[in-house]
Amino acid sequence: MTDSLLRIDDLHVEIAGRGRTVHALDGIDLDLAPGEALGIVGESGCGKTMTALSVLGLLPHGGKVTGGRILFDGTDLAAAPEPVLRNVRGNTVGMVFQDPLTSLNPTLTIGAQVAEPLLLHTRLTRAEAWAKAEETLRLVGMPRPAERLRNYPHQLSGGMRQRVAIAMALICEPRLLIADEPTTALDVTTQHQILELIDELRARLGMAMILVTHDLGVIARRVDRVAVMYGGRIAERAAVRPLFATPRHRYTQALFAALPELPRPPLGGSAPVTGADRPLATIPGLPPSLVTRPTGCRFAPRCGFATDICHAAEPELTDGLDDTPPAAGAHAFACFHPTDPAPGAEPAAEILPPAPARLPVRTDEPLLRLADVSKTYPLHGGPFARRKGAAEVSAVAGISLTVRRGETFGIVGESGCGKSTLGRMAVGLEAPTGGSVHFGGRDLATLTKRELRAHRRDVQLMFQDSYAAMDPRMRVGAVLREPLVIQGIGDRAERRRRIDGLLDDVGLPRGAVDRYPHEFSGGQRQRLGLARALALTPSLVVADEPVSALDVSVQAQILNLMRELQREKGLSYLVISHDLAVVRHLADSVGVMYLGKLVETGPAEQVFARPLHPYTRGLLDTVNAPDPDAAQAGSPLGGETPSAADPPSGCRFRTRCPAATGLCATTEPPPAEPETPGHRVACHFPLTAGAVSTG
Amino acid sequence: MTTPALEALDATQPDAARATPGLARRTLAVFARNKLALAGALVLLALLAFCFLGPLLHPTDQIHTDLSQAGLAPGAGHPLGTTDLGYDLLGRLMYGGRTSLEVGLAAGLLATLFGTLYGAVAGYFGGWVDAAMMRVTDAALAIPALFLLVVVAAIVTPSKPVLILIIASVAWLSPARLIRGEALALRGRDYIHAMRLMGGGGGRAVFRHIVPNAIGTVIVNATFQVADAILYVAYLSFLGLSIPPPAADWGSMLSTGITYTQVGYWWLIFPPGIAIVLVVAAFNFIGDGLRDALDVRLKNN
Amino acid sequence: MIHFLAKRIAQALVVLLLVSVIVFVLLHLLPGGPARAILGVQATPEAIAHFNHQQGYDRSLPEQYAMYLGRLLSGDLGESYKLNQSVASLLGERLPKTALLAGLALALAALLAVPLGILQALRRGKAADYVLTGAAFLAYATPVFFLGLVLILVFSQQLPLLPAEAPQADTVGGLLADLPALVLPVVTTALGIVAAFSRYMRSAVLDNLGEEYVRTARAKGQSEARIMARHVLRNALIPLATLLGLYLPTLFSGTLVVESMFNYPGMGLLFWNAAQGSDFPVLLGVTLVVGVATVLGSLITDIAYAVLDPRIRSVT
Repeated sequence: MTDSLLRIDDLHVEIAGRGRTVHALDGIDLDLAPGEALGIVGESGCGKTMTALSVLGLLPHGGKVTGGRILFDGTDLAAAPEPVLRNVRGNTVGMVFQDPLTSLNPTLTIGAQVAEPLLLHTRLTRAEAWAKAEETLRLVGMPRPAERLRNYPHQLSGGMRQRVAIAMALICEPRLLIADEPTTALDVTTQHQILELIDELRARLGMAMILVTHDLGVIARRVDRVAVMYGGRIAERAAVRPLFATPRHRYTQALFAALPELPRPPLGGSAPVTGADRPLATIPGLPPSLVTRPTGCRFAPRCGFATDICHAAEPELTDGLDDTPPAAGAHAFACFHPTDPAPGAEPAAEILPPAPARLPVRTDEPLLRLADVSKTYPLHGGPFARRKGAAEVSAVAGISLTVRRGETFGIVGESGCGKSTLGRMAVGLEAPTGGSVHFGGRDLATLTKRELRAHRRDVQLMFQDSYAAMDPRMRVGAVLREPLVIQGIGDRAERRRRIDGLLDDVGLPRGAVDRYPHEFSGGQRQRLGLARALALTPSLVVADEPVSALDVSVQAQILNLMRELQREKGLSYLVISHDLAVVRHLADSVGVMYLGKLVETGPAEQVFARPLHPYTRGLLDTVNAPDPDAAQAGSPLGGETPSAADPPSGCRFRTRCPAATGLCATTEPPPAEPETPGHRVACHFPLTAGAVSTG
Repeated sequence: MTTPALEALDATQPDAARATPGLARRTLAVFARNKLALAGALVLLALLAFCFLGPLLHPTDQIHTDLSQAGLAPGAGHPLGTTDLGYDLLGRLMYGGRTSLEVGLAAGLLATLFGTLYGAVAGYFGGWVDAAMMRVTDAALAIPALFLLVVVAAIVTPSKPVLILIIASVAWLSPARLIRGEALALRGRDYIHAMRLMGGGGGRAVFRHIVPNAIGTVIVNATFQVADAILYVAYLSFLGLSIPPPAADWGSMLSTGITYTQVGYWWLIFPPGIAIVLVVAAFNFIGDGLRDALDVRLKNN
Repeated sequence: MIHFLAKRIAQALVVLLLVSVIVFVLLHLLPGGPARAILGVQATPEAIAHFNHQQGYDRSLPEQYAMYLGRLLSGDLGESYKLNQSVASLLGERLPKTALLAGLALALAALLAVPLGILQALRRGKAADYVLTGAAFLAYATPVFFLGLVLILVFSQQLPLLPAEAPQADTVGGLLADLPALVLPVVTTALGIVAAFSRYMRSAVLDNLGEEYVRTARAKGQSEARIMARHVLRNALIPLATLLGLYLPTLFSGTLVVESMFNYPGMGLLFWNAAQGSDFPVLLGVTLVVGVATVLGSLITDIAYAVLDPRIRSVT
């Protein structure tokens, strides 16, 4: 193709460090036309970021291109000297990184950083550059841009910082924008705003774009073509619609099936399955380490369809029609046993685990009850902090909810909404500053020391980062034994038996007892964390973001395990997550939190299908469904969450609410059940069937 | 059980089936791979042998002066020459090294022990106790250690045990501050929270989790403390405030040497000076190696 | 920042008070108490009792401390036993000279350490880094007085380039007039702390080079040299301010040794002579002043840090 803007041919990248070399990229071919948007998806370590970084020669220390070409506008950037590269960077190719906090210099003003590329690549004076910087900040939707020029990065919120980063990348009006996980560090509502902004700017400036992400939902409606990467190679590449409709590579297929929260069936044509009752398809095992170059297909060890040839030979990209290399625009895949593209040819049963999930036994017996629970923290530490009238952060403000025996209660909310604080109060790690926590009918505050100790057996916490929650000096055996020792359960032999049983339960080999926590992968650590939480046979497990640090395929393993153990042991869960899909998949009942308040709560199906609170509605509308044809739903939320140190009067959501009136500013809406019993909402103008839609 | 069984933990490890070796063994293995640290340990062993076993091979009189033999340059009979008072310098180096090493080791360890206790108490209790205890160390640290040492040494006439006490009484401050920070940080770790949620109490937190996790920092700091203490001995002697003659240590030997620089008695200066540098550097290398070893063993290689 | 400053200043005041308590305690540890020290070993018990009553040394310790603090606040540090001069006036003469020595040494140390640290960071894992790291470790292990002796032997005995004695002048200006004689004392003092500073710079530059904002700057097309000057150094040098404060005690200890070696007429030499001659008022006076100087010095560096770092500056 002669009209391509960027063309990558057989790119190889190696990263040397600590006496070993990682073969990060092993023969990548990509092609991008001017104005085109390409998505690169894959799990961590698949090489997607390395591909993006190698275009601009920004590989990390020890990394170098060992083969292949990167033709940008006719120049081979892989072989270009530093001055040539410098002239491209920030000028004709702009780049946006993942974490907007760390990718800005903390001690330089926004203005200096945004204007910097102009001073490097144009002849503008400093004053002219700053004027252009202000204009660009306005373009990326920064309120009061003139003021912001003199601010420092820490004075802006995460979303605003990412806008600054985008302004920096765009100020020289590049022909290609590379965005590496631009929204991963942001909250869902902010994520949506940033993706919309990038879309709009791309159309306006006619740029090409490479969007690198792990999130299939992000990519579905934002790009023209997609490349799926696995183990340093391209597994499949195609235009976005054919890829989502009929994935050909077995890895792509499995990846789609492992996604929680699918309002539609994973593969076109099969019978609809509802998200909550279906166990997720999992991909067993872990991605290859790439220290030694694998022989054969890199996915073969984890693939249910692998045969001898997959282990012996490396599949090349093909369009499945003939043996010639596929055209750049063709639907190409590197698999010996691709899926059959004919409609209905791939019954879902083949990739889904056979056992249909039986719903857990739910009862109406309340297990955990929070009654008007609040938590405030002093804003400044130190001896004078408790003084009357000193600034306070209202992390949780008057929340009441009930978790019944055998059910899963999900709490959703964005970062800083107080959901983790709520979880810590539920397990008794922190005492509420107002209201009370009842467990099994007893107020925790009234328990004696001895009773509290016994109570610990009933409630356990599953940490977001199980590794941090295990003493690094203890072997796994000692970690799992500790709760039994503390509670004086069993003798030596009995404890040993129980530990073996726990490891069986969570699917880890019994030999794990002799190893240290650092030797396990992220998913295995979460299994260990769950095993320890279950050691005391609790009736309630509070899980704080149990899978947010994991890749999709591993995440599915853990979510299935949690559900399975719930069925076997009759557990109740309080699951806390920012991820609507995770909560939707696990929870029977749902509570939605915003700025320390529970704005809506009720049975999961009802809350997700017919949200009553404008915030819930907005959250659901911002979810990026992994479907290129999904209609742009409703009205995603604008604005930003106010500070919990100074929450708005009346309804805390009113500053971002499309339906807010004067009443919302003066009066806090009382919880009500306007439609069905058990589905409560705290809003003056709930979105009931009778109300006019605000969308 | 329908959960898919996992692969072996890490199939690439040849010993995947065996238990992971214990922490102490792995620490030692990492330490031994650090060439500088190993060199430091060997130099230290050699110096210890020199000071404590050397006199068996090279016996000399380090009590009585012999002015007929004063100020001899290195040569037969006196491989490193003699001092202004006729002591054999090689023998004196061994004799003085014993003082330096004994006092340095004892004072460094005593300071570490007391400082660790003090810091752990402050860090564990936190709040007002911590604030009060730390302001005291701040104040004492504000007065440079050498000034405090000199004042105390000017008030009492040092003997070996007194010297040990004086140095330890000043040197405990920095480990106290360090361990306090460590205890404060460890107290907030998630694994302490997890243990509390199992019903575990303060005693278990301190003795099963905080102390074992802080012990590495303590050991590393101890080596630096010993190095510092040896330097303090040298400084005090150099300023003429150490154990009075005929006792000697490397610092006082150097101090004597300075008087004779004009007449060119170079052998009075370099041997004790180099000995001090060697022993202090050795302890620093060992401490650095230990720090890496204790750090690395908790990470994936 | 006002909150931070108020807290930091309150802390410094408490520490200052405690420094005075420590010196007061040392005063009472003196053999035979202050009376015997002042009146001499031959003093009769009656004379001592009279002296103690007259000076208030027979009252309760808190009362005595209050009196002591009152005298301190009015600038009265007592009289030297030997020099027939008030401690305050002695310090007034000597303090500026020590400040000169310390200031020049600090400047020299920073001038050497910053480029050395950057060089090491840029050449990380190469020969230059190893050589300089080894040198830093040796410098760490070398007592200041041994270093001074070697410098004297080399630069004033073997190659008679520089005098082995510091300038002997009554004023700071007089000291500065004899620059060659200042070289060895200043260099010796500076080398005592340069190792620590360059180690800090090396790791600070390395840390910052690994930061993502450096990658962002590269992605804009910025050159490596400008990235170092504009982005990395700014972030690496701000915390150096606090490090200066932390090293003040080490610096003062260095001047004590160097002044006594080179016969430099500063506070350290005064202190050393007082130690030889058991001139306790001078000893304690210098100790107090050095302690106060350290507290104030680290307060100033902390404030400088807060002013320089926008993250602290803008927080209320």
